[in-house]
Amino acid sequence: MKRRTLLSAAAASATAAGLAACGSGTPGQQAEDPAAEGRTPVEFWGNVFTTPENAWYEKIVEDFNAAQEDIYLNYQVVPADAWDQKLKAAQAAGTAPDLYIQAGRLDTAARTGLLMPLDDLLEPDLLAGVTDPAKEISQYQGQFYGFPLLVEPQMTLYWNRDLFEQAGLDPEAPPTSWEAMYDACEALASVMGNGEFPLNTAVDSDTFGWTTVAAQMHVAGHLPISEDWSTADAEDAKYEDLITFYKTLQDEGWIPRQPLGGGNSAQAFGEKKVAMMSQGSWGMSELGADYPEVASVTGVAPWVQNDGDLTHSISTIGNMKWVVDAKAKEPEATARFISWALGGDPEVLGPFFVDTQFTKAPAREEVAEVVGADPAAADAPWSEVVFEDVVPHCIPEAQYPWDINLAMGDALQAGMLGEVSPAEALSTAQKEIQKIIDREGLAEIRAEMDA
Amino acid sequence: MAISAPAASRRRVHPSRRQDTSMAYIMLAPVLILLSIFVLWPAIQAVYLSFFDWSFYTDSEFVGWKNFHDVLVDDKFWDAVLRGLQFVLMTVPVSMVLSFLVASLATSVSRRVSTVLKVSIYIPSVISGVIASITFVIIYDYSGGLLNALINIVGVPNQAWLGDPRWALAAIAVPAVWLGLGISTLIMIAAMLDIPDSFYEAAQLEGANWWQRTVYITIPQMKNVLLFLLVTGFVGSIQQFELPLVMTGGGPHGATELPNLFIFNHFRGDAYVGYSLAAALLLFVVLGTISSVIFRIVNSEKLVD
Repeated sequence: MKRRTLLSAAAASATAAGLAACGSGTPGQQAEDPAAEGRTPVEFWGNVFTTPENAWYEKIVEDFNAAQEDIYLNYQVVPADAWDQKLKAAQAAGTAPDLYIQAGRLDTAARTGLLMPLDDLLEPDLLAGVTDPAKEISQYQGQFYGFPLLVEPQMTLYWNRDLFEQAGLDPEAPPTSWEAMYDACEALASVMGNGEFPLNTAVDSDTFGWTTVAAQMHVAGHLPISEDWSTADAEDAKYEDLITFYKTLQDEGWIPRQPLGGGNSAQAFGEKKVAMMSQGSWGMSELGADYPEVASVTGVAPWVQNDGDLTHSISTIGNMKWVVDAKAKEPEATARFISWALGGDPEVLGPFFVDTQFTKAPAREEVAEVVGADPAAADAPWSEVVFEDVVPHCIPEAQYPWDINLAMGDALQAGMLGEVSPAEALSTAQKEIQKIIDREGLAEIRAEMDA
Repeated sequence: MAISAPAASRRRVHPSRRQDTSMAYIMLAPVLILLSIFVLWPAIQAVYLSFFDWSFYTDSEFVGWKNFHDVLVDDKFWDAVLRGLQFVLMTVPVSMVLSFLVASLATSVSRRVSTVLKVSIYIPSVISGVIASITFVIIYDYSGGLLNALINIVGVPNQAWLGDPRWALAAIAVPAVWLGLGISTLIMIAAMLDIPDSFYEAAQLEGANWWQRTVYITIPQMKNVLLFLLVTGFVGSIQQFELPLVMTGGGPHGATELPNLFIFNHFRGDAYVGYSLAAALLLFVVLGTISSVIFRIVNSEKLVD
């Protein structure tokens, strides 16, 4: 080997070794922090959330690490599109984090042994202070398998008052029914340019899967599976109406044919590419942080329903829970952090709800009082809408496996795009749901859950 | 004995030959050991575990052939395989023809132009598939994308390239062809340069034109290389994964859910892993069968100088 080649190879190896030393062999672990020495390490994984939420997570981790000297919390942000595979790979390798944040129902994860029950880890008084709606989404068979951070409605209507005014609509009167929505879209279409739309809703299977659960219940009075989970129940003419609603919006060009961004993002609305959007209450938090000019002219209302009745099943409610992995290496230390952050001084948790523009409901009464007393609450009129007009009329997220949500999401998308008639789309969904019921033995699972 | 004598002489190996064989085994050992650890043993494990409802957290339950049965009766699995074949038809022939044309051009122009051509065509091969996917997502963006801006110029309204089931698979095929063009073109150039010039000189003396020289000399002489590219292109194309994962997630309405993505979506979504393993093994059988059929139809043969 020539001397120069040898030197180059040696330099490359040294660089590679240096780079490797910057990282760590443990997934999710950052470079060694001297402050971690001698402490019990706790791995904590979260998603990318809205700007104020991300800032809050970073702050509490820093504060917790500074507040005591026994535990060192290592927080890692995992992007949503990599979440499932990263967590699954870590579970397979036995390196799952001690604590992670989970949206959606916990039932399947609790039933299949992925989560550690928290009743013996956390103080009974702390668990007793959890509000009823938050309990509903955090328990399985009467035991806590996650500690709720918040509950929030997942489907509300946002409208841009300025654009309403430009289109000759009353800026203080958002639509409440499907018919009124058609009228509003027709008027707004005249003021929207190329690549802009009166409304942004779900247009893909996944987003339809979780955003339309309440609408399915509202129009038909039931979900697309029997209560004992033994038979599919998707072939209902009322569901055809729901598909036709989205198909009309699509055929008229009032909603885009392709998603304008992530299903849980308010970006297109913030960029004024759309005049209205369906979005969870967290949308206001994103608008307030990233699009303050648009936030100041934004109104929030319950999402439109077929009959304009906004007093039942207008949205699902749920969201972020902190869960402890069933194989957590440091469950006690993890529980101490949960107790400190979510169950301790309400002042630690309070800023989370204030900074997210009062769009999320605290999961503990004590925290709700502190948040409600914040002077800034008076400047957040949408908060009243969320908590008084939306939250009381919500239903919990569906408990059945996600594949069933997806089957209905597929039906909505196929019918909306006109690939098949609504009846044919629902017939396919019916077969798909029945296949899942039989394959997974859902009737037995339901009986086990109810036991 | 009359029979045993020649048999014994066949077994007798020259000492230097034996040394060569030992050296060959030593040279092969690292790759064989690595393949055994990372391919063979996981494959055996996969076959074993596919008969279980396997979870990482609870005791596995033996379920016999249930997982294979679930896959075989699942229309979505077969739809994904058919979609994969459709994707192969969209990408492999286009890629082969384009590579052949570029390779023909590169071998007939001056050396400097040929170098520029080879470098330009090879650049996409060193770009990460994820980066290419993100780039094309931006190009296909519904509101503000480059492609829609271009078609707007000629009066055509915005199209949902990734949101319309009619377009989505083709929209993913474009970057797939672009990314694969470099390697296949370079292999074809190498094969073309390997054809003796005397063949072409003789043909030119007989008055053969470019088309005749291509059909009667170039393509027959490249038969083995074309077969290789056909089979590797087929397997690579039907196993395409990252493009649909990043660009569409398999949507709209499953229009881009290719077989590997179908399996992956089950892997990350299912409570148990048995279904994904069974689907992967069955896909292996399907791909192996189709590849062997291609080999049978297009026989490879040794070139005769």
